[in-house]
Amino acid sequence: MAEKHKPAPMVDEVSDFEVLEVAVRELAIEKGLFSAEDHRRFAEFAHSIGPLPAARLVAKSWLDPEFKKLALEDGFTASKEVGIDWLNPTGFGTPSDYCDLRVLENTPSVHNVVVCTLCSCYPRPILGHSPEWYRTPNYRRRLVRWPRQVLSEFGLQIPADVEVRVEDSNQKCRFMVMPMRPEGTEDWSEDQLTEIVTRDCMLGVALPHPDRKADDKRPVHKAANPVHGH
Amino acid sequence: MSRGHHAEKATGKGDPQCFRGEAPQPKFKVGDRVRIRDLPDIFYTRCQVYTRGAEGVVAVVTHESPAPEDEAWDNVDAPEWFYIVRFKQKELWSEYPDVYANDTLQTEFSERWLEPV
Repeated sequence: MAEKHKPAPMVDEVSDFEVLEVAVRELAIEKGLFSAEDHRRFAEFAHSIGPLPAARLVAKSWLDPEFKKLALEDGFTASKEVGIDWLNPTGFGTPSDYCDLRVLENTPSVHNVVVCTLCSCYPRPILGHSPEWYRTPNYRRRLVRWPRQVLSEFGLQIPADVEVRVEDSNQKCRFMVMPMRPEGTEDWSEDQLTEIVTRDCMLGVALPHPDRKADDKRPVHKAANPVHGH
Repeated sequence: MSRGHHAEKATGKGDPQCFRGEAPQPKFKVGDRVRIRDLPDIFYTRCQVYTRGAEGVVAVVTHESPAPEDEAWDNVDAPEWFYIVRFKQKELWSEYPDVYANDTLQTEFSERWLEPV
């Protein structure tokens, strides 16, 4: 009976890669290459990078055709103009990623979406850490083969006459999507436009919308059975 | 060669930029039709099985770098050109719906994986 009702484990099994990361990290700390405090600071920094610089890159491109040309031809140089130096993104002296940024332009006839089937290659210096779902085998395996179904699960229906172009990021190029500027944003400033270019729009699983901002207030649902006296 | 030679080489330039000028002339150009070779990959590779044998078109000639199959073993002596190849989805997945015949997929290969069609 007790066996039958054994609760599910709170934490799923740890992957081989996580074990490897911990082992290498502990060895590096033991050898004095960096301290545990250095590691924590770096992790904190890495987790705090948001998609904001990339959003500004898109907003600038919407407003300035010359900058757009630069962004599409040379993402590395364009990144510098929004404050991201791929050679030294952390300020800790570590180039933490490959540096060949490619910006994929959405057009009325092409919709781009990014995946990495091999692991989770992601333009971290400019987009921050990848979302959890981006790293799951579910997304990685299915997006390349059933892209429209997977996009539908994100609530995005792409018309049949638009080419869905999946970019499987498997080498040293890093990719982000430049969505189309939505209607209803005429006369908007660069700052206003930056606010509506959310992370998911730059991965290709969503489209920007004039009413939806990255820092919108999250809805608050009141507890159905509130605990009294607390 | 020092153990940190990758980082030393990339400092101030970036990777793959630090391999610029080290590969022979690219064999393919944008618009060329290519087929993905089915080379042995008993060790490390970044060439997805689903692309093997498929035909596509070179969309971008990207950069020079050692192929990952070499770099994984710290062999960085023979950089080659890399290419983003565009495939029709139907070419990769026979069951892909005809109504979405325009849909495509792009991914990247080092030169050794490509043969002309």
